[in-house]
Amino acid sequence: MREIDCTGKRCPVPIIEAAKAIKEIKSGETLVLISNDPATKVDLSAWSRMTGNDSHQIGENRFSITKKATN
Amino acid sequence: MAQTLKNFLAEAPLSPAARDVLLDAFDQGWHDPQKLTQGASKARILQQNSLESIASRLGVHPTELEIVGEPALGHFFAIQGFIEPTSTIFYSTVDKKEIQAIARARQSAVELSVNSLGQINPDGFHGAKHDDLLALQGANAETGVVQNLNEVTERFLSHAQRGLVCLDFTAVGCQQPLPEKWDGAVFDSRSWRGPQGLGIVAIKSGSRWRNPLPHINSVKTPQSFSLPLLISSAVALESWVSDDERIRQLSRRLRDGIRSRISDCDIAGDLEGSLPHVNSFSFLYVEGEELLRSLEKRGFLVDSGSACTAEDLQPSHVLAAMGLLTHGNVRITIHAETTETDIDELIGALIQSVEELRKL
Repeated sequence: MREIDCTGKRCPVPIIEAAKAIKEIKSGETLVLISNDPATKVDLSAWSRMTGNDSHQIGENRFSITKKATN
Repeated sequence: MAQTLKNFLAEAPLSPAARDVLLDAFDQGWHDPQKLTQGASKARILQQNSLESIASRLGVHPTELEIVGEPALGHFFAIQGFIEPTSTIFYSTVDKKEIQAIARARQSAVELSVNSLGQINPDGFHGAKHDDLLALQGANAETGVVQNLNEVTERFLSHAQRGLVCLDFTAVGCQQPLPEKWDGAVFDSRSWRGPQGLGIVAIKSGSRWRNPLPHINSVKTPQSFSLPLLISSAVALESWVSDDERIRQLSRRLRDGIRSRISDCDIAGDLEGSLPHVNSFSFLYVEGEELLRSLEKRGFLVDSGSACTAEDLQPSHVLAAMGLLTHGNVRITIHAETTETDIDELIGALIQSVEELRKL
């Protein structure tokens, strides 16, 4: 599974990197975002609401993002 | 020639009437009202007149007012003066950090969540008892969201019959009357374009409140506030004219313009349930500080609640509590001087700035 490591990068960079990476995977596929920015959790959730992609926190500073069907 | 910047910051210049009176207030009001001189007697009269004027406009009795030199300190006096060692403080995720700090310093505190519109969930009062205190925000300074004070208070009192309600009216100011039930309330003179450095605390007569600071006389709060600023604040409040409908229309124009012309934007709260002049927008993929700088270059001053501009790098606790995007945030405050043309120009500048920053 592809991982994007945004450790040390501040908002909105982790979200921008996730948005770029998700264009390169197929619908239904999942990638992992690694980010220790305190804003990532809430911003990723808002991003998912706005874009329709699915995201979950899967560990400390780790988030899974699944591309929606119509991306 | 210097560029004229259009002001959409929360702060605004003193009201012209308050500014006009300020120098005279310093000339007349420099005496210590507590002394026995003729000048002190005159200062006492000026102080009493100012208190009576402010009290009448805020819907309280003059003897219920305490003045402090710092609005944030007002929250401490208002809340801390009521609570007992066994009291639990109920507060919300969108309260000011200074209020959250007071609550979290207690052994017992309950944080109430808000929904996506920023309205407090009133279902968290189970177990509330008679000596507990509800710290309740009239409106949020960051989003403008106005709380349903009567509903939340009723729910609190249905569990804590003789519980106390302490209101944060620093953002509301004189734009709304105090609700029927209140025990303490804190105002900020700046909300009616009075001078900064003046907190106004109302403590309801007969309530069980005492000076929370160590003290050896009967004063309720330190009397170290500036009398000239109090005089100026009273004049500002006297000259305050509600322009809510016009300002709400401008906010609607702004929100509709941004909603229809800029994609991927979170708008905090519902305008009908918010203060008319406060608007908060978060733009996806945009860095808040860059957006502020870009708008300033285009001639517009706005505020930001983004994590990227905050000292502690934490995302805005208010936006986070509402589940809104915390980056790329700008807060746009509409003032009495703002025109439709200003709004249209600001929308144009936002479109350009957001587009540019998203390309980077």
